[in-house]
Amino acid sequence: MDMTRRRFMGSAAALGIAGTMTGLARSAFAAGPELTAVEWGGDVVEAMKQIAAAQDASTFNWVLHQGGAGAILPKIKAVWPNVDFDYVAGWEGSFNSMVKEDWLETINPVDIPNLADIPEKIIIRDGKGNIKAVPRAVGGMYFGARTDIAPIAIKSIDDLLSPDLRGAICWPGPTQSMMLQIVALALHAGGSETNMEPGWKLMQDLAKSGNIGRVAVTDIDFTNSLTSSETSVGFFAEPGWAAVAKNFPVTRFTKDSNFKAFLYQSGFGVMKNRPNTRATLDFINFAISPEMSALYAKVAGEAPLNSKASTPDNLKHLAFTPEEFSSFVYVPDYNVVLEQQDAWSKRWEQDIAPLL
Amino acid sequence: MTNARQQTAAISISDRRDRAITLAPAVLVLAFGFLSPLINLAIESLKEFTPGRVGSVENAATTVQNYHELANQAFANVLLTTFWIGGVAALVGQLVAFPLAYFIVRRLSPRMRTLALGFLITLVLSSVLIKTYAIELTFGSVGILRPLLLTVGLSANSREYINIVVIAGLVHSIIPVATLTLMGAMQSIDPRLLDAAQSLGAPGWKAHLSITLPLSLPALVSSTLISLTFAISAFVIPMVLGRGRVLFMSNVIYTRFSDIANYPSGAAISLVMLATALAVISVITLAHAWKSRR
Repeated sequence: MDMTRRRFMGSAAALGIAGTMTGLARSAFAAGPELTAVEWGGDVVEAMKQIAAAQDASTFNWVLHQGGAGAILPKIKAVWPNVDFDYVAGWEGSFNSMVKEDWLETINPVDIPNLADIPEKIIIRDGKGNIKAVPRAVGGMYFGARTDIAPIAIKSIDDLLSPDLRGAICWPGPTQSMMLQIVALALHAGGSETNMEPGWKLMQDLAKSGNIGRVAVTDIDFTNSLTSSETSVGFFAEPGWAAVAKNFPVTRFTKDSNFKAFLYQSGFGVMKNRPNTRATLDFINFAISPEMSALYAKVAGEAPLNSKASTPDNLKHLAFTPEEFSSFVYVPDYNVVLEQQDAWSKRWEQDIAPLL
Repeated sequence: MTNARQQTAAISISDRRDRAITLAPAVLVLAFGFLSPLINLAIESLKEFTPGRVGSVENAATTVQNYHELANQAFANVLLTTFWIGGVAALVGQLVAFPLAYFIVRRLSPRMRTLALGFLITLVLSSVLIKTYAIELTFGSVGILRPLLLTVGLSANSREYINIVVIAGLVHSIIPVATLTLMGAMQSIDPRLLDAAQSLGAPGWKAHLSITLPLSLPALVSSTLISLTFAISAFVIPMVLGRGRVLFMSNVIYTRFSDIANYPSGAAISLVMLATALAVISVITLAHAWKSRR
C-alpha cells in the first residue's frame, strides 16, 4: 500500500484520537481517587509503590523530596492554603514545623485502626494532645564506616581526628539530619542540644584536620561518595547506609557506648484542605498494617513500628532492648533542635565552612 | 504650515502609540515576572524571622537585622569566593572562546562551520547536570584523570584542587555560549583589513592585536558579562563539584529559603547579591564606554 501524505496524516490523527480516548477511559474507570504523595526517593518510594500496588482503592502521583524533608516546607508555604499534596512523608523535624504552621489534619484513631499497634509514646501530637502524624517506621542517624576501605578501625569519635583519615570522612551538610551530627559531637564532649559549644569546638577541630573529604548536601551525595570510595567514614541516616551496604561491608556504630545513635520515626502527615482525606486515611491505615509494615521495612530499610510486624534480620541494628536503648540511643528535644536550625546553619557558615 | 505641523504631530503620536504597543508585552512581563517578585522580596527581607517557623509569620515586626547580620567576615568570604571563582571562569572562558570563534568563522568551510555551530548549540542546550557529572567523573576525586592532576602536585583533597574542578565545570558551560556570542562579531570584521595589515608587513599576531581584538572588543565585553553573570549565579556546579566545601551565594540563598525556611534572611542575601552583581556589571560597562569614548 502506498503511503501518501494524506493517508499518513489520517493515520496519525486516528492514532492520536485512539490514544486520547484510551487515556480518558483509563481515568474514568480508575479504581479510585488519585492521591498526590510526597515521599523520599530511592528505596523508600520503591517500598511505597509496592504498597500502593497491593491495593486498588487509590492511585498515586508520587512527588519526591528534594534534599532534606524540610525542603518541602517552603513549597507548601508558597501556595498555602491551596496545597497540592494529600500526604507528606516526614519525620519529627518536618512534622513539628507543620504542626506549628497548622497545616496537618488531626488524626482520629477511629479512622486508622492499625494505629492501635503503634507505640503510643512515639506518636506526634500538638499542644492540645491531638494526633498530628501517623508513624510508619523507625530509622536512625548514626556514625558508620565502610570497613573494607576505612584507613583505620574507628573506636570513638576522637578517632575522627586521626591523620590517617585525611579526606576520608563524608560529613552531612548543615541542612542534613537537622545537624544532629553536631549534637553527637556535643554529647561526646560533654554538651547537648542545649549546650552546643563543646560540639562546635570539636566540629572546628574536625574541619581543620582536613579529614572531611566531602560535605554531603543530599543523600545521593553521601551514597555516591562512599560507594565510589571517595570517602569511607561518615554520619548519615539509615537509608543512606543501607544503600551503601547493598554492595559493600558497612559497620554502623549503633550499639557502641562511644557513639550516640539518634532514632527518628518516619511517617505520614495528612494535609488539610484536600478533597480526598478519607481515601488518604484509608491508604495510610493499609500502609501501616502488619504485612505492609514488614514489606516497607524489607524494601526501605527502616524498622517497622507496628508491633505485629516482623523486623527483617538486616535491620537488627535498629532493634534495641530497653537497656540498649538507654545506653546507646539519644532522644534530643526536637523542639529545641528545630528552633536552633537557623542559628546553627549560620554558625556553620561562619565558623566551619571557611575551615573546610 | 499649520497642516505640516499637524501632520508632524500626528506622526509623533502614532510613533509613540506604536512604541507603547511594541513595548507593552515586555513591560508587562518584566512588571509581573520580575519587578513584583523583587518588591515582594524587598518587603520580606525587612521582616523579623521567628526560629522554627516557615518564613516570616503574619504581622512580623519590621527590622534591618537580616541585612545587619550579613556584615561579617564569613559572608564576605562567600561573596568573594563567588566573584573570584566566577571571574576566573569567565576570563578563562573568553581565552578559549575567542580563538575558537575566530577559527570557526575564518578557517572552516561553510559546511564545517554549520556543523560547528550545531555542535555548540547542542552543548548550550544539553543539561548542566549531565555536564557537571561528566566533569566530576573525569576530574573528581575518583575521576579517571585524577592521577594526572596528582602528578602536578595537586592533592585531590585540597581546596585548590576543588576550586580548579569548579572552575573547569563553569568554563565547560561558558565556552559554547561565549563562542556563539563572539562568532557574530568575528563575522562582521572585514577580513581584508587583516590582509592589508599583513601585506604591509605586520606580523600575524600584531595584525590580530591591532585589528581583530579592538574591533571585537564590544562583543568580548558582552560575552564576558554574560559569562560572569552565568558563573556567579551558578548553583548546581559549585554544589556538585565543590563537594559541599565551596559555597557560592546561590547555595547560601537556597539553604536559607529551602532548607531552614528563613525567607527574610534569604531575601536579604538575594538583594545584596543582586546589588553587588549589578554594581560589578555597571563598572565593567561604564569602563568600556569610557574607553570607547577616548
